[in-house]
Amino acid sequence: MSNSHLFLKSGFPRAPLQNGIGRYVCQLQRVTLKFCKNHGSSRGMREFIENHLVDFAKENPGVVVYVKPRRHRGPVLVGEYLNGDREWLNCRNANKDDISKWLQLLKTQNGSSSSLRLRKMWHTDVPSIQGPWTPFTLRAPEANVATYPNADASRPLDVEQSATDKLIELFKQQRLADKNKSTDEVLEEKRAE
Amino acid sequence: MAFLAKGLLSVARQPCLVNNLTHTFRALSLAPRLQQQQKPTLVNAAVVANKSEKVSSELEQKECQDVFDKVNQQLDERKEGRLFAIVHLCGKQFKITAGDIILVEGYWPPTIGDEIRLEKVLLAGAKDFTLIGRPILPAGLVNVKATIIEKTLTHTKTHFKKKRRKQYMRINFQRSPNTMIRINSIEVEQNVGGPAQVISEPRIF
Repeated sequence: MSNSHLFLKSGFPRAPLQNGIGRYVCQLQRVTLKFCKNHGSSRGMREFIENHLVDFAKENPGVVVYVKPRRHRGPVLVGEYLNGDREWLNCRNANKDDISKWLQLLKTQNGSSSSLRLRKMWHTDVPSIQGPWTPFTLRAPEANVATYPNADASRPLDVEQSATDKLIELFKQQRLADKNKSTDEVLEEKRAE
Repeated sequence: MAFLAKGLLSVARQPCLVNNLTHTFRALSLAPRLQQQQKPTLVNAAVVANKSEKVSSELEQKECQDVFDKVNQQLDERKEGRLFAIVHLCGKQFKITAGDIILVEGYWPPTIGDEIRLEKVLLAGAKDFTLIGRPILPAGLVNVKATIIEKTLTHTKTHFKKKRRKQYMRINFQRSPNTMIRINSIEVEQNVGGPAQVISEPRIF
């Protein structure tokens, strides 16, 4: 059982340097690929360097790519960001697809984000535009001068028509109709209904 | 505020104007009432009711038009101030205004630097007015522009399962993708309450 989450830093979503308001700037500045020329654990890294690294560098002219061979050490990806963060990734026994995936991750993130728990999925500088809600928003100003206890305010909002009320209404309608028409017409209408 | 509430009420009661506003067809509370009044037993009463209904509906229509005119005037003079909107994005609703950051959890294809338009706008509002969609505003009425600024993974989440006295224990670690989006601008493009515009491309939502 891990208790690492107890000591995890938490925070709120922020973007460095107002990124994306005018234009988007890629935050990854340097990436270093370290590998061994003979060791088996670096095979994926070597394949990636042979096949895809030039394409990656061409696609991302803003990122400096360093390749650093070293003897009998595991393959490593290191990204350095505009805000000074440095992300170190061990790529032992990873194949070239894995490495290209991790490199994409390094490219698309704003800094080393692995150890921050987000408390909100939203950040705003202007929390309210129409003003915060109060119990008096969208209320008639008569409430200011009402005296309490108030019969109107104490009544429930949704009193349904009771069966008796319905019957009384029906009866009244019938009376109205009877006044206006002869009995035959009324009977006909009843049948039609 | 009272004026606004009144305007909203009258909008809600007015089917044709509501359709102008939202282009969506929904059964309104007005229709069943009318049907009820056109029952044969209540011919005379219905005629009277219809007359009063007509007068009141004209009044309401005028009130609605006044509200629309006021909103449009404000928009024309660019005095609406900062706008906010509620958008539906990846199964969640966000209340956004220009300059906000929102996060989409889970796999989502757009990549960094992409500029997108959020089209499912449920509500848009300014200091003095609110446009409410039923359920979403017509396409092209409100233009919400956004930029993807980060795609990353969450912190490592631990999934730990244990059953007591059963020699069962599993521990898994997982990180799910997260996408950070910057809202660039929210603008009302068309006149509010204007005639429905024919949109050639079909909406898929």
